[in-house]
This record gives sequence, structure tokens and C-alpha cells, in this order.
Amino acid sequence: MRIVNVAVAALLAGTMTGLSGGALAQERTVKITGFGAKSGVVRVFGVNSEAAMKAAAEEINKAGGVTLGDGTKAKLSAEFLDDRCNAEEGISVIRRIASSDAFVAVGPTCSNVAESLFGILQKKVGDASDSGLQFPVFADVAAKGGLAAISEWAFRNVPSELEMYKSLFAWLKREHPNLKTIYGGVEKDFAHSNATYGVMKKQAEENGFQVLGTGEWLLNDTTFSTQVREMRRANPEIVAISAHPFTTCGVLREMDRQGVKPKLLIGLTSSSSIETLQGCAKQAEGIIIPTSFAPVTPEAKAAAENVSKQGGSMDLHSAAAYEIMFILKDVIESQKIMAKPDTVQADRNKMRQGLAALKETKGLLGTVGRTNDREAIKPYLYVHAKEGSWQVLHKPSS
Amino acid sequence: MDLLDLIDAVQSVADGLLFGSTYALLGIGFTLIFGVMHKINLSYAAASIGAAYGSLLLLSGFTAPAIVVFMAAALCGGVIGALVYFIGFKFIPVANPLATLMSTVGLLLLIDEIIVHTTQGVPLAYPALYSDVVVRLGPFMLRGDLMFVFVLGCACMVLFLLLLYRTRLGIATRAVSQQPVASQLCGISILQVNVLTFVVTGILGGIAGAMSGAAIGMLSPLLAQPLTVKGLIVTVIGGLGSIPGAIIAGLIVGGLESLFQFLRGVTERDLYIMMLLFAFLVFRPGGIFAKAPGRD
Repeated sequence: MRIVNVAVAALLAGTMTGLSGGALAQERTVKITGFGAKSGVVRVFGVNSEAAMKAAAEEINKAGGVTLGDGTKAKLSAEFLDDRCNAEEGISVIRRIASSDAFVAVGPTCSNVAESLFGILQKKVGDASDSGLQFPVFADVAAKGGLAAISEWAFRNVPSELEMYKSLFAWLKREHPNLKTIYGGVEKDFAHSNATYGVMKKQAEENGFQVLGTGEWLLNDTTFSTQVREMRRANPEIVAISAHPFTTCGVLREMDRQGVKPKLLIGLTSSSSIETLQGCAKQAEGIIIPTSFAPVTPEAKAAAENVSKQGGSMDLHSAAAYEIMFILKDVIESQKIMAKPDTVQADRNKMRQGLAALKETKGLLGTVGRTNDREAIKPYLYVHAKEGSWQVLHKPSS
Repeated sequence: MDLLDLIDAVQSVADGLLFGSTYALLGIGFTLIFGVMHKINLSYAAASIGAAYGSLLLLSGFTAPAIVVFMAAALCGGVIGALVYFIGFKFIPVANPLATLMSTVGLLLLIDEIIVHTTQGVPLAYPALYSDVVVRLGPFMLRGDLMFVFVLGCACMVLFLLLLYRTRLGIATRAVSQQPVASQLCGISILQVNVLTFVVTGILGGIAGAMSGAAIGMLSPLLAQPLTVKGLIVTVIGGLGSIPGAIIAGLIVGGLESLFQFLRGVTERDLYIMMLLFAFLVFRPGGIFAKAPGRD
């Protein structure tokens, strides 16, 4: 009798364990892997992207998670790998992600990494002669224009700087008709800064501003006296700086020292971040920068708070990562992604198709359009530095 | 070249000379360690920047005046200097200079990574003295903070030379650098001299790091690499082991770098400094103050 009791108890225990195992199997977690710079001077971008991805995953999970193709509810989790803003490491990281069960990756931070990395993806879907990696990559930060055109597996949720600066210079011409001359400054060795300066210069000229000259420096330069002296000699009414916070602050400080006081300052999108204000709030006072993020809507405010709780700060780059997580959730559900080890390539194809089919997505500042070449058309506004914070100066759409 | 260009060229050289004092201090550090141990410490500039970061960390709870921050940097530099000796030099066989060189490369990367991970790679504002002062001499303009950096750099060099030529430690250091075995037989502790050399050069490096931070207004992990390269160039041009050479070469490199930037632009600037280094290596490998070969 005792033996029978023990056997029944063991059977029951086994059944319970099996049941709970089965129940646990229902509680699946789908990992979305982000990658970007978490080392070096642009580490902060990676830190912010990771925090944004985690904050978004938490929001999605709170609302019930994501429904997979077989009806299973799954939780989303985000992990983030470091590519050190280095093209070789970026390629190595994406190969590592692609060798796992992942069906999509989010990143990278740097345009030079994106440019090389998109180059190893298959250029045209279905091209049997192209052995490139067939893996969808959704860029959140890399901002150099036109990168997604490199491969049909590449997608971006970054704002179009061409549109932003086109609008900004047209607005400047309307609002400040008395200002005629402009002097540029550019980080010559950084793909994003260099490309955007080309956009700034072209738009300035097309709007009738006279470009008096350009000061050039390198990303890790520390002295700017020669460039600013030339700027002082040119005596421009507007100074447009296409550089990241570190050198932007260096140049602004040197301008302050040499008494260069233009009537208007314009900055690079990436400098509309907290680092610029931490580094040189006094000298940056008044600088105007177009950006695709500011905490101006209830959703944007809540997202900024959530990202802050995750140890990051919300700016135009991390906002893109936050939005991407919600876009991925929708595509996973609409494309019935299975997220199983035996459906990896099918899931990747579905994910690519789903992303390519998007015509518009929901963004923190409103509806985001999608172009045929897999780029985003994001709403934007102009902010300016005022008393140590970024404040909205103008909303072009309103 | 019109008058305005000439004025700008002179101004560029003046700015470069003032900033060059930081290169000179770094060059002294490189050269002193080479002079005493006949080994290159490639982690020196990274340790200097690490010391400047350390000073900010040490005083993070206070609003300390810039001069206190500089002193804290010197202190941190001394501590890091001693650590570098014990980690990268003490236990590596003297007869294996390549192993020491590689260990200092490792230390360079280690210090860099520690800075990056402690600060998340975010550049930090560094205080400067007289940053608002601008001295105008006719058409020329001299930055108060750079002039302070220059004066402080010169004062450190003088104090260092006094230490080297007027104190027992200096005599011991020179003795060890010239005749280590004879020095040991005379009762000089090689270990003690080596440690103190690293501490003293660490202090100098800490001040150099603080001066770089003050002159630039910011500290960034990106500084370690260019300062390492500049320190090495200064050491080679000045002559390995020559302290006056390091001082003169530091000022020359600073001045020429700034002048080339003005004349040829930022993309070509470093090319000419490298060509200068190449010219010295080919035509005067002993540096500016090359010594005639002696019995040592």
C-alpha cells in the first residue's frame, strides 16, 4: 500500500512538473538584439539605445507582450552588444547575431559601421548569385544620408537630415531676412558630420546665404584657435557647426574666447543632446538644431521617463530605438513570426517583408512615413538651447 | 602672404608654443624612464590622462579651485606611476625589453578602458585658471589659460631639473641610469630609485594631463592616443634620454603643429610632423641634443 501511495504521489508530482513545464513553455521570451557603440567617446549613444530598447520592451510586456504566429504570447527582452563604433567589429557582431536564432537586429550607432555592415548583406532579395547575409537590420542611430539603399535587408528609423536642414534654412530665410552670411565648421573625418555639412552648405546657398568659408577639424582634435581665427576674420552673421558634442563645445568655447559672436548659431542633429549642455551650456546658448525628438507629447514625455529609469536619456537617436521596438512588435504579429529555432530563416524573410511593406509607423512625435528605399520620414521640430535645457523653438508642421 | 596672414601665422606659432609645454612635460616623462631604465613606457600619456580623470573623481564631492584639482592630478599621477612600475616593469626580466614594451602597451589599453568604463566615455569638463583672461599685444592675442599652462609647465621643468641635479634622489637617479651595477655596489637601492623615478614622472605626467585638460577645457579618453604619439615624437626628436631635448622638442612640435595647421589645413597637419620625425630618424637619430658616443 505504501509503495502504491509513493507511486501515485510520484506520478502526481511528475504530472504537476510536466504541467508547470508546459505552462512555462507557454511563457516564451523573444530576444531582440541591439548593437552599437558601448565603448569609446560615443559610448553614450549605445547606452541610450540599450536603455530605450529595454524601456520599450518593458512597456510592451506590461501591455501583454507580443503574439507569435502560433498564438503564443511572448515577452520581449532586449540585449545589446558592443561594436565600439568600429566597422570590423560591427561586421563581426552582426555575424554573431545572425548565427543565433535572432530574426532581426537593431543598430548600429555609427554611420561608418552601418555603411560597411550593410555592404555584407545581400543587395537584392532573391538574387541567387549574391551570397550576402540574408538578415534584416534596422538602424536607429547611424544618420548619414541614404544608407538603407545599400541592401534590401537594411532599414532605418533615422530622420532625413536633408529634409530637416532644407526646412530649417528656408525657415531662417523667412524669419531672419536680414541675415546674409554664414560660416561653416565641420568634423572632417566623421562620415555623419561631413555628409551633413554638405547638406547644410547646399541648403544655405540655395536659400541665398553667402557661405564665407569653412573651418575644418578632426573628431579627436582639441584646439581650434586657427579655425576660429579664420572665422573671426570672416565675421559671419551665422555660424553652422556640423560636429558632435565634444568638438562642438571646443569650438564654441574658442569662439567665446576670441569674441566671435554671430547673430545665430546652427548645430548638428547629434548635438541636440544632453552632452552638449553638460559640456558648454553657456557657450551653446541659443544654438538652433533640428531634431526628431523632444518631450512635447504625452507619449514622448512618458517614454523619456521610462528610458531615464533604465539609465539612459532620450534624444533623437534613442527615441528611434524606442520606436523600433514597437514597430518590430507590430511586424512580428502581422507577419506571424514563429520565433522558433526551426523557423529562423523563414522568420527573417517574413520580418524583412513586413518591414519593407510598411507605409507608415507610429512615432513619438506623430506618424512616421516610410519610403520605398526603406528609410523613414520622421516628423521633426527645431529646438534651441535656452538656460541649460533644450526647448522647442518651432514646429515646422504646425 | 599678406600682413593678415603673417599675423595669423605668428599667432598660430605662439598658440602652439604655449600648448607645446604639455608635450614637453610628457616628453620629459618618457625620456626620464628611458634614461633610468632604458625602456619605453608607452602607457605614460594614458596614465597622465588617467591621473587628470582621477583628480576629478577624487574631488567629485567638492567644488575645488582649479589649482587644487591640478595638485590632485599630480597626486594621482604619482600613485598611478608607482602602480605602472609594479604591474608593468617590476616583475618582467630586465633582459627582455620587448616584454616590457608589450606590457606597457597592455597598460595603455587597460588605463584607456578603465577611463572609458568609469566615465562611460563621456568627455568631462576640466577646470582652467584664467580661462576668461585674454592678453592682447597689438594684433596678437594670448589666452590666459594657455599662458598659465605654459608658466606652470616651465616651473615644473625647472623644479624637476633642480630635483635631478641638486638632490640626493637626483644624483642616485643619474647614477642608476649611467652605471646600475656600480650604483648598487655603492649602496643605492635600484628598486627604490626605480619606484621613485616612476612616482616623480607620474607626478609630472599628472600635471601634464591636468594642463592638457585645462588647455582644452575637457578630458576625453580620445586624448590618450594622440598624446602618446606626440610624447613619443617629442622624445625621439629631443633625443632619447635628453631632458633639455624633450623640453625644446615639445615646444617645437607644439609650434610647428599649429603653424602647419594654419598653412596646410587640418588634414595635412600631422603629416608634416611625421615627416619631421622621419627626417630626425634618418639624419639625426640621436635627436636635437645627440651626445657623442661615450664609454657608457
